[in-house]
Amino acid sequence: MASASPITAADAGLPDYVTRQPSGFYRSANPGTKLAVAALEVVAAFVLPGWVGPLLVLAVVLATAAMARRMRGLAAIALATSPIVGSILVINLFLLPGASDPIARLGPLAPTWSGLSFGLQTVARLLAFSLAIGLVYLTTAVDDLLADLARRGLGRRVIFVVGAAVQMVPATIERAGEIVDAQRSRGMDTEGRIWRRARGVLPLAAPVVFGALTEVEERTMALEARAFTAPGRQTLLRVPADRPKHRVVRWAAIIALIAMVVLRATGRLV
Amino acid sequence: MSGFGPGVDRSAPAASAGAFADSRPPASDRSGVGSTGPGSAPAVPSIEFEAVSFAYPDGTRALSQIGLRIGSGESVAIVGQNGSGKSTLVRHLNGLLRPTTGRVLLDGNDVRPIHVARLASSVGLAFQNPDCQLFSGRVSTEVAFGPRNLGIHGGELEERVRAALEEVGLDAEASTNPYDLGYSRRKLLALASVLAMRTPILALDEPTTGQDARGVARVRDVVARAFGEGRTVIAISHDMRFVAESFRRVVVMREGCIVLDGAPDVVFGEAAWGELRASYLEPPLPSVAGARLGLGATVTEAAFVAALERRAGTISR
Ligand SMILES: Nc1ncnc2c1ncn2[C@@H]1O[C@H](COP(=O)(O)OP(=O)(O)OP(=O)(O)O)[C@@H](O)[C@H]1O
Ligand SMILES: [Mg+2]
Repeated sequence: MASASPITAADAGLPDYVTRQPSGFYRSANPGTKLAVAALEVVAAFVLPGWVGPLLVLAVVLATAAMARRMRGLAAIALATSPIVGSILVINLFLLPGASDPIARLGPLAPTWSGLSFGLQTVARLLAFSLAIGLVYLTTAVDDLLADLARRGLGRRVIFVVGAAVQMVPATIERAGEIVDAQRSRGMDTEGRIWRRARGVLPLAAPVVFGALTEVEERTMALEARAFTAPGRQTLLRVPADRPKHRVVRWAAIIALIAMVVLRATGRLV
Repeated sequence: MSGFGPGVDRSAPAASAGAFADSRPPASDRSGVGSTGPGSAPAVPSIEFEAVSFAYPDGTRALSQIGLRIGSGESVAIVGQNGSGKSTLVRHLNGLLRPTTGRVLLDGNDVRPIHVARLASSVGLAFQNPDCQLFSGRVSTEVAFGPRNLGIHGGELEERVRAALEEVGLDAEASTNPYDLGYSRRKLLALASVLAMRTPILALDEPTTGQDARGVARVRDVVARAFGEGRTVIAISHDMRFVAESFRRVVVMREGCIVLDGAPDVVFGEAAWGELRASYLEPPLPSVAGARLGLGATVTEAAFVAALERRAGTISR
């Protein structure tokens, strides 16, 4: 897969921000490798049966994060998923179809044991999914990821789409804060009761979405103005490290992933 | 020749920063009262910053020991280089940001325990970036959002929306989608959506950015009118001409501190140029030209022309 890279940045005597490579456990790993590992983890969380998949993946992701000193960031991501986690739990607890083992009776509502178990399992899968991807995000500079994809021959357009999507996340979070402030300045109640707050979703969602779209459109044009789609091969400024051990892990992850999917498809993994 | 905003008597000596008593022009100048304002003009609270310091969560220290008093009905421009803390300062007015240390008082009451949604009825704040504010599919609903949150409805709501749109020159666009307007008009729309709230205090973050001469004239009229109605108007701006022509008091910020505070004549006067340039600000052209010609403090084009004519008169006589 590796294509010949004519000269490296270091050879050319380029400044530090070009030649600098990330250091530390997992953070210095090749971005493509991290992506492959995350893909494996995501698939494992959903394909391995019962509790094994999600718990195994969660354990691996948490251990990796702890060694890479990214636990706090991961905790923030876990917190961000809490609204979805909460609603999954509630819905399954009370509404799992066919469940007939009530924990208690609360008027018309009957939470069930099987609902609880299924809900928790779904939540574990969801967490495994988001934390596996979150860890790539926390340990990888977006530039490095994109440069690595580019080196592997992915088209510029594909890379732009991936990059725009990934980079939109922090920008959108920042914008959302500004938007909330602007609407509060116009008397929208975000500190009052829940039902009053719920009314405030539209004034927040619309500028976030429109703003994100406009931003992508503008970025596309700005790129165009800088000869983004000019024909010919581009020179990469930064080339992320790709050591033999990174390659071994990457291929192992890809093979394991394929094996898992094949086993599942042929019914040998239930 | 020059179209200065109506309502404000520019020949009157501007209030000095120290005099907070009443910097408003005589009642005869306040022709605007009642024309757009609510039946009874709301009481306009005074504003006081008491040793306010503020640091963002990432540790950036944006304000240090700000002491500032803005009396009821003053018109104040806040200027300063990028990142000097102007936006941070005005966001303390309605509680969007709370001081790390120090207090912000409205009419002597600490605003800390008051929700932003409540403070919004006293302080209308128009943001620098209109796209963070606009959400509705129709210009008129957009403008109605603020006053509706304040509990206005029915005929009065309609009247407020109409008046606010008229004031910024968007009355023909009431049913347009805001995103079909250009940037400068979206910015005017964001301004109208705050005007419709008819708050006693109006705070505008860079209202003239991106406006052509006509847009600037509209903003100038908005400021003059609000001032004429006795409301307090505070605006952040990088446009020194707009500042000199529309405000009675200018506050200069640098690195989170207030370094100059006074009437335009003083702040843009020759004695203060060193301080201004240290803040990467240029005094307005008439001020520089007036000083070169020995005409005294002429911070606006009108003052400059008048001084020049006076001198020409003396010479011909
Ligand atoms: N959300 C934030 N988090 C961290 N730092 C911030 C944030 N917003 C502003 N700052 C920093 O606080 C300082 C003051 O910023 P502020 O936006 O108040 O400046 P300003 O005078 O309004 O500048 P401009 O003229 O560019 O609008 C700057 O150093 C800025 O980088
Ligand atoms: Mg600002």
